[in-house]
Amino acid sequence: MTASSRRDFIVTTAGSLLVPRVLRAQRGTVTAQQVADRIRSNLGVAWRSQTVDGFKAGDPSTAVTGIAVTVLATTDVLRRAAAAGQNLIITQEPLYYAANDDPGNRAKDPVYLAKKALIDEQRLMVFRLTEHWNARQPNESAKALAAALKWTTEVPDTPQTYRIADTTLEGLASQIRARLPIRGGLRMVGQAGLRVQTVYLAPGTTSLTMAVTNLQKADAILAGEPREWEAVPYTLDTWSANRGKGLIAIGRMVSESPGMSACARWIGSLVPEVRVEPMPVTDPYWSPTV
Amino acid sequence: MTAQEAVGRIQKQLQGLAIAWRSQTVDTFKAGSPETEIKGIATTGMATFDVVRRASAAGKNFVITHEPTFYNHQDQTGDLETDPTYQAKQRFIKENNVVIFRFHDHAHALQPDPLVVGSARMLGWTQYASPTEPRIYVLPATTLRALAADIAAKLKGKAIRIAGDPDMSVTRVALGPGYGVPALTSSVDVAVGGEAAESGGNVEYILDAAADGKKKGVILLGHMMSEDWGMKEVADWLRPLLPEIPIEWVPAGEPFTVSR
Repeated sequence: MTASSRRDFIVTTAGSLLVPRVLRAQRGTVTAQQVADRIRSNLGVAWRSQTVDGFKAGDPSTAVTGIAVTVLATTDVLRRAAAAGQNLIITQEPLYYAANDDPGNRAKDPVYLAKKALIDEQRLMVFRLTEHWNARQPNESAKALAAALKWTTEVPDTPQTYRIADTTLEGLASQIRARLPIRGGLRMVGQAGLRVQTVYLAPGTTSLTMAVTNLQKADAILAGEPREWEAVPYTLDTWSANRGKGLIAIGRMVSESPGMSACARWIGSLVPEVRVEPMPVTDPYWSPTV
Repeated sequence: MTAQEAVGRIQKQLQGLAIAWRSQTVDTFKAGSPETEIKGIATTGMATFDVVRRASAAGKNFVITHEPTFYNHQDQTGDLETDPTYQAKQRFIKENNVVIFRFHDHAHALQPDPLVVGSARMLGWTQYASPTEPRIYVLPATTLRALAADIAAKLKGKAIRIAGDPDMSVTRVALGPGYGVPALTSSVDVAVGGEAAESGGNVEYILDAAADGKKKGVILLGHMMSEDWGMKEVADWLRPLLPEIPIEWVPAGEPFTVSR
């Protein structure tokens, strides 16, 4: 039975296909804590004792009426979720402007306070899922990003690396721009004419080790947010060493968005009681020169 | 004069400014022997392989860099020893008798911070600096779109990224160097800096502020478009300390191009 047919079955047995979502949740009740427990026990990854993942807002014993899965739980995403009857938001990135979700100097800031008030008034729950989602092997975000780019040929024994139709670095950039919702954030390191046949996918951050190790084989890296004193100058220096490689940075949110849609489908398979939907965020950046 | 002696003059000057040399610092020799006789000094935002080559070709065998040489903050090279790019860079440094020293922590300790001064000067903002609030510039009223276009033209930056409503009005700007993009608050319209973690605060804050009808912006220049200029200020600061040595600013430049 697929997730959706299980959902239909539960809804049908609850009385009618037209039963409002809130009512349906009350009948096939699952709490946010139970959702978190199912995620933990199905990840295939041991839960870390020190982790940024977990509940960031709300009472986990509350019955879940619907789940929104997103890269970033912005105020807008929270409002859209609340309007759609989804009271559990699962986010990859922090809720409160810092890796540890501590508002710090913003504790009395009106923007922070408005977000917190919205969460309290709508009784929303926010659960962060990043370290454990990214620890799954093979890497879910890379797999989903490849699927969004319509790349299907993985290089054997080289995780997250795909063979693509022969192109140039410039051609690769055009392809990425055409297939992903990029506004201005696409930046390129390396000469435009570089021949590219293999690409290593590194959604999110790209550490130096990832760049050095994977560029031994791949022609280019498709990165989210590489640091400009790490993977970026390393790739630049490959040109001075006569082994030029390419790097294309598309931004963290754009790079992680397909992965969170895949995450929504996966969570949907674990929680048939409620509707689980991806809530995409758009590229926050624009460019004055593009 | 040796590279070590040149660094000694820098340390002495800092001491005179009541800036004690830190025991824990990334400001150390990164490549070459400190005992090397120096013919000239190149200051730069980052000692990329290309910068090291250009400096060496210009007779500047002592490179003073703000950012790392070997692609990580501590310049740890253990994992790089077998990498051909690293090996080629090290070989060039050795064969050309180059010495590389990092000037980061102590450069930022100078008052005012030359890395901020350099960006402000390039942007033409020096006269707009708030007399009371550090890093705040009060600009003649403009829009985020116009400000971004002006910045891109002045810096000749191709890969500058902006978040926020292009039509928002801007007067109060917070300017920070490199990775130190100032945090947006209710009293700042736009934060300008080099690079930032996209989940590190400002971008989410802009999006959340927008949901409340408050308009905020961030302008990410890129790390080198932010800090290269400050190392020109550092070159000017070094000249009177080392009058016998030719000193030149060798910018690393923007590493990125942008696909259209």
